[in-house]
Amino acid sequence: MAHIVTPLDQPSNYKDSQSRVDRSTQNELLSRTSTLYVGNLSFYTTEEQIYELFSKCTTPEDGGGIKRIIMGLDRNTRTPCGFCFVEYYSHAEALACLRYISGTKLDERIIRCDLDLGYRDGRQFGRGKSGGQVRDEHRDDYDPGRGGWGAQAQRAEIERKREMEVRYHDSQDVPGAVAGGGGDWKEAEHTSEKTLKRARSPEDEGDSGRGEPRPKVEEHDVGRM
Amino acid sequence: MSHHGGHRRRQPRDNFDRHEYNETPEQKLRKNIIHYGEVDPVQELPRLAAQIFEHVPANVPIVSEGFRIGVTEQPFKIPYYAALLRLLHDRPATEGASTSLGRQILEDFWKGFQAFLDKQAWRETRLCVQFFAHLTVARVISPPSLYELLKSFAAVFNEFSVSHTRASKAGLCIAEGLVIAGSVIKDDPALDISEIVNGLRTYIESTHEAKTLVQPITQLHSTKPSLEHAEEWLDCALAALQTLSASDFAQTADSVPQPYLESPPISDAAFDLPNVLVPPEVELDTESGGDAQVKKEEWPQCYIRLFDDDVTPDPTAPAGFMLRSNILDVVDIFEVNRKDCARLLLEYPKWTLPGTFKARPGAPPSPVVEGKNWDLDNTLIETILGACFVLPESTHKAIYYIALITELARSSPISIGPAVGKSIRKLYALLSDGLDVEVAHRFEEWFAVHMSNFSFSWPWKEWIPDLTLVSQHPKRVFMRRAIEYEIRLSYYDRILRIVPDDMAEPEAQVMPDQAPGAEFEYEEPGNPYYEPAQSVLNLLRGRAKPEDVMAHLEIVRNQLSETVEGDVNIDSLLRSIAVQSLLSIGSRSFSHFLNAIERYLPLLRNLAAGQISDNGPPHAEARTDIMSAVATVWRRSRHMILIVFDKLMQYQIVDPTDLVAWTFAHCPAVTSGQPKSTFNAFQWDLLKSALDKANGRVMVARRKVAALRREADDKAARAIAGESMEVDTEDKPDVVPAGESEQLTSALKASTVLTREQKSALARTLEGFAEFLAAESASPKVAEVITEHAWHNRANWEDDDWETWETWGWYRHWGRTYSPYLRNYIKTLEHLAASKVPVDQGDPVQTLFRRTWNIAVGHQEV
Repeated sequence: MAHIVTPLDQPSNYKDSQSRVDRSTQNELLSRTSTLYVGNLSFYTTEEQIYELFSKCTTPEDGGGIKRIIMGLDRNTRTPCGFCFVEYYSHAEALACLRYISGTKLDERIIRCDLDLGYRDGRQFGRGKSGGQVRDEHRDDYDPGRGGWGAQAQRAEIERKREMEVRYHDSQDVPGAVAGGGGDWKEAEHTSEKTLKRARSPEDEGDSGRGEPRPKVEEHDVGRM
Repeated sequence: MSHHGGHRRRQPRDNFDRHEYNETPEQKLRKNIIHYGEVDPVQELPRLAAQIFEHVPANVPIVSEGFRIGVTEQPFKIPYYAALLRLLHDRPATEGASTSLGRQILEDFWKGFQAFLDKQAWRETRLCVQFFAHLTVARVISPPSLYELLKSFAAVFNEFSVSHTRASKAGLCIAEGLVIAGSVIKDDPALDISEIVNGLRTYIESTHEAKTLVQPITQLHSTKPSLEHAEEWLDCALAALQTLSASDFAQTADSVPQPYLESPPISDAAFDLPNVLVPPEVELDTESGGDAQVKKEEWPQCYIRLFDDDVTPDPTAPAGFMLRSNILDVVDIFEVNRKDCARLLLEYPKWTLPGTFKARPGAPPSPVVEGKNWDLDNTLIETILGACFVLPESTHKAIYYIALITELARSSPISIGPAVGKSIRKLYALLSDGLDVEVAHRFEEWFAVHMSNFSFSWPWKEWIPDLTLVSQHPKRVFMRRAIEYEIRLSYYDRILRIVPDDMAEPEAQVMPDQAPGAEFEYEEPGNPYYEPAQSVLNLLRGRAKPEDVMAHLEIVRNQLSETVEGDVNIDSLLRSIAVQSLLSIGSRSFSHFLNAIERYLPLLRNLAAGQISDNGPPHAEARTDIMSAVATVWRRSRHMILIVFDKLMQYQIVDPTDLVAWTFAHCPAVTSGQPKSTFNAFQWDLLKSALDKANGRVMVARRKVAALRREADDKAARAIAGESMEVDTEDKPDVVPAGESEQLTSALKASTVLTREQKSALARTLEGFAEFLAAESASPKVAEVITEHAWHNRANWEDDDWETWETWGWYRHWGRTYSPYLRNYIKTLEHLAASKVPVDQGDPVQTLFRRTWNIAVGHQEV
């Protein structure tokens, strides 16, 4: 019903500025993607909070669900810096978030969702000069939910902040450091005696994208981050 | 046109509000028709009619398209579009033409209607019928031809085993058509309205059984639908029609706007709508894959009612029925943009008869009209919640309705806020009176998400007196769960700040006594297994290789079997230590958990096979142990239990059937510390997650088969085409693959395996409910709570009464929700039920159990 109003699930002007694929390929990928970029998060919002809200757009009866959540981290401090990727199993679920979740509150902040080309290693880190998001460097407003001085006003926030500061200290930026989340159902083979050789490595899991074509983009230059 | 060189013509589906400089005069005309009436519908009528007349050359298809979009996407404007089309009958299409422009547009519009009907686009079809009905009152369409159109819809009722979806959609076309145009049809003595109405009534009477399973207020003791605090939509349609007809349709002008009555009769002869046949239903072929869709049959649509007739319009009265029909259509049509939807809903009164709604704050007062002056805010919230709470499932996801209410409350906080508050209080009150368990579940969800958008401000203290109710009373369960959901969306300390002190006490059982978190059973040095557990934990913390962990576990196993005394199952203990340690290292976040289990998948697979270093076939006890270990670690976070189980299924460590079995047999003991044979909302969440996973897998597998089949067909077709073109060349090796490809064979095999798994998960569920409710071993409470006497005495119910009542509620919800799947395996399942549930005709428990089942699978009561 797109004659009277503009649907909320149309792609916006958000883009991955470092993606090296051309615009039309990007659009093609976005029309199938099952990944969302979620922005304007509080620095203290947890993955479980994100999971709770974003699971309201899943369609498990149709083979969908939340595949994984990748928290955006400050490159230097390894602490959340206000964005994340939510990856579903289907494109329709990502679209539903644009219609029903983008522009509503999570952790008392209005969050925004955009379709994303898909996660690649390295993208979990902020790209700003200071290590956080570029977008945040253009801000000069005071923002209590994101580590401003307001946090000191509330004891609870201090506790959350402390937890967050240590939570992702172990995060790595090597390929395969981010879990895949589980792929398609496969027939189990439990006839062989030894499992070690057959066992799929976590990387394999991550790449089996449940029929959703994963974006074919050139290898990301990990060291460059 | 060099100045246009740089611009591309807009794509038709683009929004044409923007880039107006790019519009052609035709597009502008169409836009003006679609956006007509934004300021003053009545004033704008003659102006727009003149503009259409003056557009040269006359472009009937463009104008007709404008009407088609306007009518099917803005139902509130339909009477005005009818008035506009009436005006377009005043002049010929072109100078000297024999027919009027209006006539030509209507002829073209009809083609669009026919296309909607052929596609079975029921909403569009119905809105076109509304338009035709208005045009009939405007004397543009002949009453006998409208009557014939409605009769073709009525013919659907006589089809052999017509589906409820089809019959109810056709019934609504009839009812809305007659509510609008009955007043002119009845003037023709040759047309018998009662014949059509009787067809509708007879059909509705045949659906009473089904209503008992989807009414929002549960009455276990009654076999008749008792629609207290609720109305069934088709019942409303019939009631509205009967009310009108009883007063000889005198109330029509009071029920729908009729702006076209200002115009004199047209000079042309009235238009005769051509005859139509409602095309037969498209059969979904699930076996061959088709689209692999599960055909969901619609149930009677019961909408909850929260306010009295003087506050919100009575849906069984003609005016109220049409108002609600409009609101429901707007909610449905504008699902793509909840913000615009909210705006249009708040602007709705301007399209209604004066005095329909009370003037809103700041607006000029509206005329006082006897029996009207309803409250728009309450009407909107009641209608949207009604749609959100429809059973077994709403048309759109619950989060859409929730987000829509959030938008309304943001646009108009002063008026919508109180309407939301009143609705919450009404629903809360209904919790004591049998509010369906699933409706209560959605209410909790709405409450938490709504509050999370509005600083969690709710006057909790008004519910403090209810803390004296027994712990499992639905009101107390509501408080507990609403808080639990709020904490999930926020965090413990934040929610602790908003509840009054009386509720913050752990004894109040509203707030948990501490923030959700993981608890590793073997953490304390005093625990007898502290040391072995620490050794495993340290290996995992150091990211040891899976095979090293396995080797270590084998050693631990040997040590334990030598040292542990008494009745301890060493294998279970070891699984518990291993799984708890794994969860413990992954407890920092969802991603940490995923990383931990992906690193140790080989180990988990072995554990699930009842082994350590080797794999093997699934081992039921081992899987139960794994799930119990998860629930033990996360006993203070039911959310995490759900998340972890979902991923354990995803990684095929456990199967959906394992989870179903665990939910019935072990969940209460692990999560609440005592075994129970009752079923609660958390168990429902687990069960749903397991069944949806099983169903989703079948869906994915079937889609794959269908895609591979299409691919194979295409290949074969291309090969044949290629052959015929290359007849001259020498003999080639066979290019057409004989039989199916290897991929297709394995896809078909997967589909078979997964279908079997789906059946087994459903069967295990039926078994679980049969054991809890209808088997000889079931608790005597099961029979007690379903009697009318007990229900009236519910003020004195204890916890186990409410828990048993809730178990019945989830059984009912399971039946109606998974009905399309259950119907696929009816023989197996009924055979199973027969073996579990003793046959005793007179026994009320077994009767209720079976009746519920029969309604769910569509057996007619004999």
